[in-house]
Amino acid sequence: MVAVLLMAGSYSCSTEFDINADNLETPIVYCILNTSDTIQYVRLQKTYLIDQAALEYPPHPDSMVFPGEIVVTMERLQDNVVLETYRFQPTTDIKKDTGFFPTEKHVLYMAKAVIKPNSVYRLYIYLGSKEKVVYAQTSSLGKLTVVDPLNLSIRKISLYNGSNFTCRWEPVEDAGLYQVVVRFRYNETRNGITTPKFINWSQDYITPGTSDEYLSKDISGARLAHILDESLVSEAGVVRTVEGIDFQVMSGAVELKYFMESTAPTEGALMEKPVYTNIINGLGVFSTISEVDISGLFLSGVSIDSIAYGQYTRDLGFLDHTGDRDSTNEPLELEEL
Amino acid sequence: MFKLMIKRILLPIVAGMFQIVGCDPTVIPDDPDEGTKKIVGTLEVEFRVPASYLPANRVVRADLSIAKTAEELYKGHFYQVANVYNSKLVYTFDLPPGNYYYQAGIVCLASGDSCSAAGFPGGKYGMKWAIGTATVVEDETVHVTPQFTR
Repeated sequence: MVAVLLMAGSYSCSTEFDINADNLETPIVYCILNTSDTIQYVRLQKTYLIDQAALEYPPHPDSMVFPGEIVVTMERLQDNVVLETYRFQPTTDIKKDTGFFPTEKHVLYMAKAVIKPNSVYRLYIYLGSKEKVVYAQTSSLGKLTVVDPLNLSIRKISLYNGSNFTCRWEPVEDAGLYQVVVRFRYNETRNGITTPKFINWSQDYITPGTSDEYLSKDISGARLAHILDESLVSEAGVVRTVEGIDFQVMSGAVELKYFMESTAPTEGALMEKPVYTNIINGLGVFSTISEVDISGLFLSGVSIDSIAYGQYTRDLGFLDHTGDRDSTNEPLELEEL
Repeated sequence: MFKLMIKRILLPIVAGMFQIVGCDPTVIPDDPDEGTKKIVGTLEVEFRVPASYLPANRVVRADLSIAKTAEELYKGHFYQVANVYNSKLVYTFDLPPGNYYYQAGIVCLASGDSCSAAGFPGGKYGMKWAIGTATVVEDETVHVTPQFTR
């Protein structure tokens, strides 16, 4: 009996597997059509296999791209009739962010294409080396209408502790998620040289309800002080002036919502979600966004003073709304704001 | 079998407990003074945009600011500035008791000479202002309605 158990143990608990399985070279495609832009981009890469520990050694740039002929095309359809065809051309104009993966040979495919709202788009990628076509389809979103902020520079934005700003917009049909990005613009003077700079502050994603007349996102005035505190370094001799604030409101199609949900951190130790894809014969996402930029707005004097003299930001070298750092301008009650 | 049980069941549970107990993110409160009671009253401003023959949304709210003195109001040294919206009528300010000056501004966005004809100086983007005072009393709400001239 013992012998049988030992035999079973030695044979059944084998953990051997072939670590050198063939690389499938699965295409990875990302294409987010932007209805607010006239140029669209496709990113095409592939899975790779290396002999070393994959998380320690970045791949060779050549191993992330397909060799040979690549043809990227897109069609716009209505009632299953092709109305327009776009041919994408390779470009290296957009640099890749530095990080683990190599930045050289960062090839994107671009095409001039104005994305019509509420239309069906199909993406085809022919890979000559694999004799394979990668395919995906999406529907573009309708027009996004932002209610607040109004594109009116006389209307100052107040963001300080106790004063939040509410962004509002009309729901877009078939949109799966929304996001507001706040861009804080400032000038930085160092050794007599003034440089315009900005900080992008992305708000959390919003998923729409079923019967919302308007959607909204509160921008926290108190949080802005923390964002500045976390993003900027206090340096002697550096003077900063607040220039203004821009808002970007984006809506994304449902594919983006599914993708974001599938890549979000899992809740629970035993769960692992598969990453969403709508690419046939590959991985990735083909979807659309619609965005509205409201730029050139100004912060109220109270907001600027709270940045200049506030608890978290007073050491960052910002001038107050009168253009100096004279503490006599500091409202006595500022800490109460 | 026991090792397998440890690996598949106990370790994830322990890891999960560490996640719950050990990885509690630091939450930065919105208001660092939250919880401390301040002595305040409320100023409630009913910011009506006066009717005119111009189409709707061609005259909109532009500014609503509070100052402690008339001089600070004219100099633009405000105590609080509200975010004004087309869709919001009533704006509230929690203020320490005392006398305050407020200014409300509306702006004309119509094209051509419509704004001038409606009494907005300078035509498009011309503004009208209403200025007034209010006395805020502790734990009470004082209500004001800015009045614009025609």
